[in-house]
Amino acid sequence: MSAAARHSAADTVLEANGVTMIFGGLTALNEVSLSLDEGRIVGLIGPNGAGKTTLFNCLTGLYTPTRGSVRLRGRELPHDPAKVTSSGVARTFQNIRLFPNMTVLENVLVGRHIRMKQGPIASLFHGPRFHRGERDARQRSRELLEFVGLSNLDDEVARNLPYGDQRRLEIARALATEPDVLLLDEPTAGMNPQETEAARQLIFRIRDTGISVVVIEHDTKFIFSLCDTVSVLVQGEVLVEGSPETVRDDPRVIEAYLGKPREEVEASLTEAAATGQVVEHGANGGEEKDA
Amino acid sequence: MSRLTGFLPTALARPFAVIGGVLLLIAAMLPWATFLLNDGAYPDKATLQFFDAPLELTGYRWNVLLFGAAAIIATFAPTPGKARVLRALGWGGLAISAITSIFIAGKGGGLGAITAVDGNYAFGGIVGVIGGIVLILAAGAMPLPDIPHWSTKVFGLEGWAGRIAAWVALLIAFAAVLYLVQLTLTVGGIGGAAFPYAGPVFLAFLGFAGGLLGALHGMGITGWVSRLSEENRAFSIVVLLLCAFALPFTEAGSQYWMQVAATIGVYAATAIGLNIVVGLAGLLDLGYVAFLGIGAFVAANLSGAAASTVGWNIPFPLAALLSAVIAGIFGAIVGSPTLRVRGDYLAIVTLAFGEIFYRTAQNDIGTLTGGASAIPGIPPITMFGTAFNEPITLFGTELPTGVLYYFLIVLVVAAVMAVFANLKNSRIGRAWIAIREDEDAARAMGIATGKAKILAFMCGATLAGLAGAIFVHKLGTASYDSFKFLESVTLLAAVILGGMGTIPGAVLGASLLFVLPEKLREFEDYRLLVFGLALIFIMRFRPQGLVPDRVRRAEFAGETAEGKSIEEIQEKAVLEQELELEREHEAPSAPKEAGR
Repeated sequence: MSAAARHSAADTVLEANGVTMIFGGLTALNEVSLSLDEGRIVGLIGPNGAGKTTLFNCLTGLYTPTRGSVRLRGRELPHDPAKVTSSGVARTFQNIRLFPNMTVLENVLVGRHIRMKQGPIASLFHGPRFHRGERDARQRSRELLEFVGLSNLDDEVARNLPYGDQRRLEIARALATEPDVLLLDEPTAGMNPQETEAARQLIFRIRDTGISVVVIEHDTKFIFSLCDTVSVLVQGEVLVEGSPETVRDDPRVIEAYLGKPREEVEASLTEAAATGQVVEHGANGGEEKDA
Repeated sequence: MSRLTGFLPTALARPFAVIGGVLLLIAAMLPWATFLLNDGAYPDKATLQFFDAPLELTGYRWNVLLFGAAAIIATFAPTPGKARVLRALGWGGLAISAITSIFIAGKGGGLGAITAVDGNYAFGGIVGVIGGIVLILAAGAMPLPDIPHWSTKVFGLEGWAGRIAAWVALLIAFAAVLYLVQLTLTVGGIGGAAFPYAGPVFLAFLGFAGGLLGALHGMGITGWVSRLSEENRAFSIVVLLLCAFALPFTEAGSQYWMQVAATIGVYAATAIGLNIVVGLAGLLDLGYVAFLGIGAFVAANLSGAAASTVGWNIPFPLAALLSAVIAGIFGAIVGSPTLRVRGDYLAIVTLAFGEIFYRTAQNDIGTLTGGASAIPGIPPITMFGTAFNEPITLFGTELPTGVLYYFLIVLVVAAVMAVFANLKNSRIGRAWIAIREDEDAARAMGIATGKAKILAFMCGATLAGLAGAIFVHKLGTASYDSFKFLESVTLLAAVILGGMGTIPGAVLGASLLFVLPEKLREFEDYRLLVFGLALIFIMRFRPQGLVPDRVRRAEFAGETAEGKSIEEIQEKAVLEQELELEREHEAPSAPKEAGR
């Protein structure tokens, strides 16, 4: 809340307020707030199961939050992914979800769908205006493919692309919807250091075109070198929010990622044994191997 | 097939290929039946003695001889795609021999008919089968080459010369296709009591056609022709249309075959419509024939037939348009549940709709369908003062009754093809395919998936309604019985068999599925069994369909016979498992995901 209040409403593009998501008895998100300023990159980190992707799904209308609101430039976003995308929020998926049997170019053209105007009648008769629209869309799609570094692969079937290229294609497809805000769900998962660096440069270039970006990533080094602000999500709640430096040095973040120092754990175990209770302590450090 | 690879040492491949070819040659010249069958002599002189008249070989024996000779030539000549060619020839020879032998043995009362009885010997079939198997084994021992990729510049010619050369090549190719279609239709003649051997002769011919096309495919020729025709699209369309119009002037131009061809056309148009729903949008529709029925009954009621309740008589083009529109409206109605149900559940909803239509028509609810007594006496289409059931004379040739229906249906199929192709290559078509591929991702791209799915149902239903209007005039009767569940299944099979999402696939599938039963008449009760077996075999060995989509071809490419694919598939499975595990870790998102 405090972070959202700090900025004036004018340059805040995307704002989530008190978003709570409950699945049955499981509270996946609890009063999560997030704000994204124009032309900024916000990072979202946290251990597995912290609710990062759930938050993305709430932001893009895939889930309807139990409570709370999501606003784009002050206007409430509808709870329909298609309409959210038309309003200007595009996303990629954690486990790549391209249209595997379509070609690279066709994938991006599907992204152009909402920016094209051809109706069923035009699609049926293929008049001169249809051809013009189609040509423009192809032209724009090729530019985007070049922008993400996938030139000359137009007719390749998406499923045959190497992993890193698939991630870049997904970004190109999302950019084709002409978003104001781009949500990237683990854009560098499974990439080698060179590819990760290329992805970082790509995200900077996307930011430079005026698009604001939210990135989920496990790779903390990547996040800290990329983002203007970072939010740490732990067990459905925002633990810390602030500049990369603040977040990096916060002991609670270290604890969430690496667990408590050994002495403390032992102390608490002894305590638990004494009182006969089982103590659950934070998440494990398994994430760090990704970094 | 992949298990046959490497069965023989490579060194033995060539000798075996020659042995296989020679065996086929010998088989063609051996007698195939030891005695005259009860139903009359088996065609193509099956009881002919060894080398009695080697130059008089006809029919299946001529085909086996051709394959044998081709195999020997292919072994020694520098043939592109050699192993593939030999394999196709082997399978072709095997199919011809096996089908013929099984039938002769069955009709002749056992193995004696194809081996030895009373001092008469007939080992043609068995030798042919062995020859085919040897050829397949020999091909399996050779390294499997890639399918050659021929340049579409014919003889390397450029500019106008190149274009004309391409046109000539296409003309030759299409003329060959026309000839093959004509042969396929007429081979074996009209089945039934008059000629009891139409079925096996036709099946053996399919074996020949399959082997031939397989060999041409292995040499890269079919791929080359299809690329040529893609580059000269307008020219190809015109020539193909001309070929279709030329069919009545060939041997297939009898009343019977024109009727069969027109029926195929109706089902082909319907199958293309279904292809929009199933092939493009990926929505499984098990009650699709109901739209054909709705179109048919609307047209019947507007035809001025005495038996219809409405009894209006409006010009056919208008009636056809109305049939299409009304079927389209019903399509939208059936499509609306698709907003809520997916996959299997959608199939059940459409199945129920098909059944509702069938029962409604059967019980004449609303008195629009005539119930069990149907709506008989529907007059033929009359346009420009000509009734469509009259024979006409064109270019000095007397064309039989029903040929006008054939011409009309050719035009309609062409129009339906154009509709399909245009829709597929548009914003709408891409949206459909995106929904088929990943509905959630499609929604995330801003596609209003609900609207798009209803539109798919509407388009498909409209085309089926149009086909129904012609169907009912051609038949003269509109009966509920033409629109049962089995028809829906057959249409669906036509689409899947031919290749999902492609036009030639749907046409080829419809042709096969509606010609086969016609041709297999004398198998009577067994014909559906044979039919089912044929389907299983095709789906086992060519799961991507006979004419697969450019992309689906790539999808199945690794799984056919290439051997190395197994590791790839396993690797992929492991990767997917890992991804799945990763996703499970992200626990909170699981409940909603599971509902997908």
